[in-house]
Amino acid sequence: MTSPIDIEGGGTSVVVDGEKEPKAKPDEAKQLEGRSPGQLMWIRFKRDRTGVISAYVVIFFFVVGLAAPLISKLYGKNPYTVYADERPELFDSAGVPLQPNGGISGEFWFGLEPGNGYDVFTKLLYGIRNSLMISLAVTLATVLTGIILGVAAGYLGGKIDYFVSRLIDFLLALPSQLFFIASMPVVVSLFVSPRDETPVYVRVVALISVMWVLGWMSLARILRGTALALREREFIEAAKVSGAPPGRIIRKEILPNVVTPILVQSTYMLPNFVTAEAGLSFLGVGLVEPTPDWGQMFSKAATELVMQNDLTYMFFPGISMIIFIVAFNLLGDSVRDAFDPKTAR
Amino acid sequence: MKEDLVLPAPREAATDGAGEPLLVVEGLRKHFPIKGGFPIRRTVGAVQAVDGIDLTVRAGESFGLVGESGCGKSTTGRLITRLLEPTSGTISYRGKDITHAGRKQLAPIRSEIQMIFQDPYSSLNPRQTVGKIISGPMEINGIEPTGGREKRVRELLEIVGLNPEHYNRFPHEFSGGQRQRIGVARALALEPKLIVADEPVSALDVSIQAQVVNLLQKVQQELGIAFLFIAHDLAVVRHFSQRVAVMYLGKVIEVGDRESIYTRPRHPYTHALLSAVPEVNLHDEEAGRRERIRLAGDVPSPISPPSGCRFRTRCWKAQDKCAAQEPPLVRLSGNRDGHLTACHFPEDPTIEGREEDIVLDPALAALEEDIERP
Repeated sequence: MTSPIDIEGGGTSVVVDGEKEPKAKPDEAKQLEGRSPGQLMWIRFKRDRTGVISAYVVIFFFVVGLAAPLISKLYGKNPYTVYADERPELFDSAGVPLQPNGGISGEFWFGLEPGNGYDVFTKLLYGIRNSLMISLAVTLATVLTGIILGVAAGYLGGKIDYFVSRLIDFLLALPSQLFFIASMPVVVSLFVSPRDETPVYVRVVALISVMWVLGWMSLARILRGTALALREREFIEAAKVSGAPPGRIIRKEILPNVVTPILVQSTYMLPNFVTAEAGLSFLGVGLVEPTPDWGQMFSKAATELVMQNDLTYMFFPGISMIIFIVAFNLLGDSVRDAFDPKTAR
Repeated sequence: MKEDLVLPAPREAATDGAGEPLLVVEGLRKHFPIKGGFPIRRTVGAVQAVDGIDLTVRAGESFGLVGESGCGKSTTGRLITRLLEPTSGTISYRGKDITHAGRKQLAPIRSEIQMIFQDPYSSLNPRQTVGKIISGPMEINGIEPTGGREKRVRELLEIVGLNPEHYNRFPHEFSGGQRQRIGVARALALEPKLIVADEPVSALDVSIQAQVVNLLQKVQQELGIAFLFIAHDLAVVRHFSQRVAVMYLGKVIEVGDRESIYTRPRHPYTHALLSAVPEVNLHDEEAGRRERIRLAGDVPSPISPPSGCRFRTRCWKAQDKCAAQEPPLVRLSGNRDGHLTACHFPEDPTIEGREEDIVLDPALAALEEDIERP
């Protein structure tokens, strides 16, 4: 019962073995290199199909955001053109596009917005860009604050720990959503007098700072706990016995060991900030027209004028945001699983 | 003795009792404050972990520190390496007072006093390669050995019996015994004169214990490093140390050369401790020759230790004098030079069996009576 394939394989096996022998040796030499916990994490992550697909989706969104000006240039439009004035033949007297499905056509891929008649496709591109940039800035700021305050509180202990912990408790006790809404106009008016027109960058800075002030606590608390646990480990004592200064202990011994919670937490935090920012813009305290924004597209789509006519306007920002948030959260889960495979979710 | 079966017979080191004092500890105290009270937290008491101990470690010798759990052995080790701040007393290293020296003042001494830790799973940074872990102390102290740090690390790995090729590996790729060897290599990296070994083998497998103890002994004899060897395993200390101190509840109750402590102990607690070492041939004729003492109860709380002699609450010879007066650590008549005991009513210098066993535990006594009754 020997098949021709078997014979063929058997015939060449001697040669194959002969080739494999020297190949195995450099492999062994590589084995002695040793895999760092980071490399092991990467290997585990690559095996997780959900994680890899979500990572590609997330990367796609970031690329779209980054390349928004380029894409709209190729597409030949920008989100600020008022098509109701430029091409009045496309709209009826109420400012609603004449063509069905919100004016979707070969020229306007995702349709036109009722009212001013902005192009939905470019608006979505720029909306993604603005939302992601703001969320990324907030995440970076909160992670930095969390590391500095959390690790300092955990490692140094004593009075610093006491004050940082009380500050965290106090800020966590504030109802953050309400506080965002209430404080946004206040923060904006700190920079610009209410009578003047508010420049866009002031709104952006205000958004970032409000979310930053109320967003760093959870990470800081986790890092404080981790640093507290690490402080008692014997390798920290070993470094102290060798005379290592506190700065070096924090940099070389503590920080590499808190990378895991930082990465995991920031992958959970970023989508939260995206939704929070969209929520603020939806409620009208974030970015306002004509600056394109993800959340503000929802608010436009939910207005009476639009809802009566078509659901299409809700469709594009809605679907894209759902895909993004789900992918990012799945990515967060996969990162977490890759870092500590032992803990069950 | 039977416990020597795993380990080769104790060797007399050339440095036995010969070196000059390297480390002198006098009246060392460490009290950990207990905070409590509401709404204002204040100090309501203190855990008297170490309460006035005197030790001398001579250059090149191995000094053993034994005692049961919670008697302050590890705290003493951490005080000497200055990981903890002493409450009072003095620690002087080669005549220099380092009791309250800051990090900068300690810098020149740091390379001379190193430490080996108990738990090999917690004493190595999981994010650093073996090479980084061992070269870390050299980097901190700015030591540039001839041929570079990497070459030196490879040498050290060879000294402790690991493959120098393991340079780029991570701690999680090693077993407990191998990790402890890495810890030893790290301690040796600075060519110290004194190593404080805090229960270096108690977290290891018995077969691995022997390997690591032999490695430490090799290192001690070949490199002439003095050891303060903290352990609760009497057999290991007997194998490793030329001089031994016995601690009980934050105090040294007996100190002397190995020979005196193990065969001619005077303090009742030392007797009890030695008699608690398990004997394999329990039903042999020989077994009858060893004394048998079984204590009752636990070590009293170090928050409020007993007055006078701290062992009096568990001692079968305790009298009123023991509660009133704290026995000084002195050389008793019949003791060898350097053999000091803190006891008002010392035992005979022998570990031979006595006419009647001392069984203080009522449950055990009742059980044995039942067995003896036909």
